[in-house]
Amino acid sequence: MTTVIGASEQAQKLDPAATGVEGRPDARSTAGIFLTPTVLILALIALYFYVQSQTLDSIEARFVNQKILTTTTIEHIQLAALSTLLVIILAIPLGVVLTRPAMRRATPFALAFVNIGQAVPSIGVIVLLGLTLGYGFRYAIIALVLYSFLPVLRNTMVGLQRVDRALIDAGRGMGMTRSLVLTKVELPLAVPVMMAGIRTALIINVGTATLATYTDAGGLGDIIDAGLTNSRTVILITGAVLVGVLALTIDWLASLAERVLRPKGL
Amino acid sequence: MRVGTRACTRRVVVLAALAVLAASCGGDESNSANSGMLKGASFTVGSKEFTEQKILCEITAQALEAAGATVKRQCGLTGSATVRTALTSGRIDMYWEYTGTGWITHLKNTRPIPDSGQQYQAVAKDDLAKNKIKWLDPAPFDNTYAIGVRKDFMPELKTISDYAALVKSDPNKGSLCVATEFTGRDDGLPGLEKAYGFSGEKTSTLKDGAIYDSVKKGSPCNFGEVFTTDGRIEGLGLRVLQDDKKFFPIYNPALNVRNDVFAKNPRLADVFEPIAKALDTKTMQKLNSDADNQGDTPKQIAEDFLKDKGLI
Repeated sequence: MTTVIGASEQAQKLDPAATGVEGRPDARSTAGIFLTPTVLILALIALYFYVQSQTLDSIEARFVNQKILTTTTIEHIQLAALSTLLVIILAIPLGVVLTRPAMRRATPFALAFVNIGQAVPSIGVIVLLGLTLGYGFRYAIIALVLYSFLPVLRNTMVGLQRVDRALIDAGRGMGMTRSLVLTKVELPLAVPVMMAGIRTALIINVGTATLATYTDAGGLGDIIDAGLTNSRTVILITGAVLVGVLALTIDWLASLAERVLRPKGL
Repeated sequence: MRVGTRACTRRVVVLAALAVLAASCGGDESNSANSGMLKGASFTVGSKEFTEQKILCEITAQALEAAGATVKRQCGLTGSATVRTALTSGRIDMYWEYTGTGWITHLKNTRPIPDSGQQYQAVAKDDLAKNKIKWLDPAPFDNTYAIGVRKDFMPELKTISDYAALVKSDPNKGSLCVATEFTGRDDGLPGLEKAYGFSGEKTSTLKDGAIYDSVKKGSPCNFGEVFTTDGRIEGLGLRVLQDDKKFFPIYNPALNVRNDVFAKNPRLADVFEPIAKALDTKTMQKLNSDADNQGDTPKQIAEDFLKDKGLI
């Protein structure tokens, strides 16, 4: 018994680095909560003054205006949020199923399959789906789901696998059913690792959604592409800063959610 | 077939070797108009990523080689801005640019000049003064925007005015595929709508290469923004609506050379003057079509073109 606990302790010491979860001290992260939004607001203010200082020509004015920027930002948030939500709905149950003892043999095959989705370059996934299935919002969402499936699935599995066997045995010994052990012991203990995976998926989706512009799905990629093809720096910088701010804002919100969802005392 | 081609290639190589021998035996006198004109010079030739540009890149490279220069190829750089930066920063020495792109994208103007000759003069003058880029003589072929549609789709539609009328009566049937660049330019969609007095057509923004296929399928749109010399218009059974109000400006391409390179090798102008002259719209469409529809390589197409016209 002692050897088992020793091994799992060692595993817990090793795992955080491997899965991207850090046990941050609370005081430091409280300061961090305010740091990110401050920096982001400053970035937006800087962008505003930069754009104000420029005389926009007719091409620039067609993209750098409130109406277009609001529409594309909303489209971008919809692309990233909906695709991440779908990934959560699909990948977490799959991760749970694949870690059940009966399914362990299927694990390597499932992982290999999901790996393909992420190994293919994102522009390939998006444009290929556009060419074969069709263009528009719906198909961009499918591409994003394929692309960000792996981190959520992988972290769900790792999170569940690294739960101390002794705790599961204890739960079973107390007379809990398998599903009770899953919901009351395993999943809560796996939350930090799973959240790290979801955060990764969110960031991937915010970034990759810029490519959705090539398949008629809108988003801030419209702005970036317009800046590139027309060789207009103002448009390019506006699009790039907005995507950056959006990605960091979403990551910041996810970090807040992580604090709330993390079980007390972990 | 393949064996035949290989044997043929070998024969060409042998002939070329003989030609080199003959040329070197003959001393300074040469058997081709341009050979030796640029002896000892070395150039890096660039181009954008689409078919026409790759062919122009090969034509340029082979013409330079025939004139005795050493050539490094950077054909197929992605995006106008990338190639342009490569030129201004000295990573490439020359590439073919279109007067419209030079005027609007690189020189940051918004209004095109309707007359193609004046447009060329203006862009050549400004680019040399501001950025030290020399525009050699333009080719007569016109690669501008056009509205493309499937050949068998509403054959009674002949002109863009007819299209504008269709959009007014049925915006969904008049659905239009465009690339982002086209939606922002005065000589693109905003100006087109103004000139022909239509609006509200259902638009889909796609990567420009995907537009041709979408128009052929009729999904997500029946009409699309195309480029007049693209080989896929013919290859996919598309046709171009007549620009009856002459809205789209004529955009001729010309070889852009960094001026310090040109100053050292002024005979570049002599080498490329006859080549530019030979590139009319029909010829360019044919060369593009050979690549897009027959699958010939740009290298082969360039070689055939230069030899057929007696340019190398």
